[in-house]
Amino acid sequence: MDFRFTDDQLTLASSVRDYLEGTHGPQVLRRLDQEGNRDPAIWQGLVEMGLTGLLVPEEQGGLGLGLVEAALIAAECGRACLAEPLVDTAFVGVPWAVARGDLTGLEQVVSGEKTLAPAHVINPWLADGHGDHVQSVDPLRNLAKVESAASDDPHLLNLGALMCAAQLTGIADAMLAQAVEYAKIRTQFGQPVGAFQGLKHQLASCSVAVEFAKPVVWRAASALQDGLASASLHVSHAKLAATDAAMLTAETAIQVHGAMGYTYEVDLHFWMKRAWALAGAWGDRAFHYARVDDAVLGGTFAIGPENTFA
Amino acid sequence: MNLTYTPEQQAFRAEVRGWMEANVPKEPLVTLECREGYDAHVEWERKLASGNWGMVTWPEEFGGRGLDLIEWLIFEEEYFRAGGPNRANQNGIFLLGPTIMEFGTPEQKARFLPPMARGEEIWAQAWSEPGAGSDMAAIQSKAVRDGDHYVITGQKTWSSRAAFADWGFGIFRTDPESKRHKGLTFILFDINSPGITRRPIRQLHGDTGFAELFFDEVRVPVENCLAGEGQGWNVAMATAGFERGLMLRSPGRFQATAKRLVELYREHADRASPAAREAVVQAWGAAQAYAYNTYAVASKIMAGGKIGAEASLNKIFWSELDRTMHRTAMQLLGAAAELKRFDDGRINQWLEGYMFSLSGPIYAGSNEVQRNIIAERLLGLPRIGNG
Repeated sequence: MDFRFTDDQLTLASSVRDYLEGTHGPQVLRRLDQEGNRDPAIWQGLVEMGLTGLLVPEEQGGLGLGLVEAALIAAECGRACLAEPLVDTAFVGVPWAVARGDLTGLEQVVSGEKTLAPAHVINPWLADGHGDHVQSVDPLRNLAKVESAASDDPHLLNLGALMCAAQLTGIADAMLAQAVEYAKIRTQFGQPVGAFQGLKHQLASCSVAVEFAKPVVWRAASALQDGLASASLHVSHAKLAATDAAMLTAETAIQVHGAMGYTYEVDLHFWMKRAWALAGAWGDRAFHYARVDDAVLGGTFAIGPENTFA
Repeated sequence: MNLTYTPEQQAFRAEVRGWMEANVPKEPLVTLECREGYDAHVEWERKLASGNWGMVTWPEEFGGRGLDLIEWLIFEEEYFRAGGPNRANQNGIFLLGPTIMEFGTPEQKARFLPPMARGEEIWAQAWSEPGAGSDMAAIQSKAVRDGDHYVITGQKTWSSRAAFADWGFGIFRTDPESKRHKGLTFILFDINSPGITRRPIRQLHGDTGFAELFFDEVRVPVENCLAGEGQGWNVAMATAGFERGLMLRSPGRFQATAKRLVELYREHADRASPAAREAVVQAWGAAQAYAYNTYAVASKIMAGGKIGAEASLNKIFWSELDRTMHRTAMQLLGAAAELKRFDDGRINQWLEGYMFSLSGPIYAGSNEVQRNIIAERLLGLPRIGNG
């Protein structure tokens, strides 16, 4: 029993964080917003980091890592508000293909020539799919009507929902950091607005929500990786906790920014819109709530203090 | 990340479960907040000690089993699974004990820890004063050095367990010229010393859980000072860290409450609102989240890490969760919520629990203070207007 990441996992996550911080800042989001929202150079950078092959078995040229590492990187993608379809391709599509034993074309995923947009019946629209375009509130999200046959495999749904939850924790972290930075520099009544308890306490509440959503996400990643019978419950728990934390943080962050928060000029809205989008993707709140409700009240899952890791 | 127990840990769980099933009182004890209940709870502390369960993480020489924090969590889970009573000596074993372990001299450890583990000396805390609640640095009670003794004069209030306990600990101003956080000293005192008057305070439920302590030239030997004169604030902050961060409220307590809440929901499902139903499900989720986080903190400490200002996150989380769970129970009970005893004679534990849960966001540093700590020390917001 050791509820910690390994040094290797933390090093990997921080290297991805540093890379994205350096190459994928808000100015890049604005450029993508104006010039068409995908950039082969960004994708190539992710490929060169080895991220497309993170979960691809070593025999197919990948790194052969697991869902815990992928969830950590997905959180970094959320923090950077990454637009490229890395998470759906490499952390949802790839592990689903591997789980089904379908290894064809994974070399092309590793090399970046091929992206995956796995269609599941839970999603009425497909991110980075090839069908008719549908406009999302998130300007960097490419939604399409579903044209190919959609799967109803619960494992695919769990992978998608887990990675959404992981991204939402990173998005929430980023929004909280932006709000804190703004509260330090914006002065009113002769002092930084962040000195007022009215703001401090709201931001502290976001911190509580986000920090207690994270271990739920890591627990879900571990459960899905290990194939626990209860993995679906843990994934839904994670999606609920991460969604609620991100929505609270989004609303608090815009409030802290005041009128500036309502402008296009402040960066916050990119992350906020991503949070809105992911909150409903791969199973909305009602769907995941129902799965937790079934397990907890339905009696199919053992609860109580002795069942922390059931 | 390895979220499975070793065979040794599973065997330990089985051992705890066996002992608890055989020994935990079948009927809930009378509340700790009255003489009769206090005595019953102290007797239970001694029963626990007879099984060598007083404080499992302490070294054997101090009455423990030398176990690690994961094993402590397993112990706590089984303790609450079995419905174990509240710990009369929680101020000692969970707060002062770890503080003595960190700051105490070998003599202090040998003197104070074993009787604490055996439940022979029950501890009260004496932090607050009438003018120093959330603002603890405003403490005025004085301890003046006189040869081998400190002479204490002043007043403490809202002191948990002080109505009946044997010993107390708190911080006192040893430097009369000092202000705020400086010049304070952490002192342990025998509550039955000449010059101490204790006046139990009647709490909102009618019982006497805490007390005022009046000190009139009370002589305390200097060897009862912890970590040296003038170090009181730092020692108190470490104690508060244990209190808020890890030990005071282990997750098993809230997981057990969440489970009972699910059972209560099932009894009242036909008339419960959808909102109450969702609150029940969310209570399970939040208690689990608290457990995962506690395992993460324990793992970190076992690997040599420390718990800092993030202790404030924990304190807010468990105290507000506890209040929410009990509020939900009151909603589920409906008209019966106000009954002190149900028609079948059972005590309305949910009502008692709800009243107690209202104190959670206040004691151990109010949640407003905790939110300031998070904002300033974790998020880095400016410290203005808080002294």
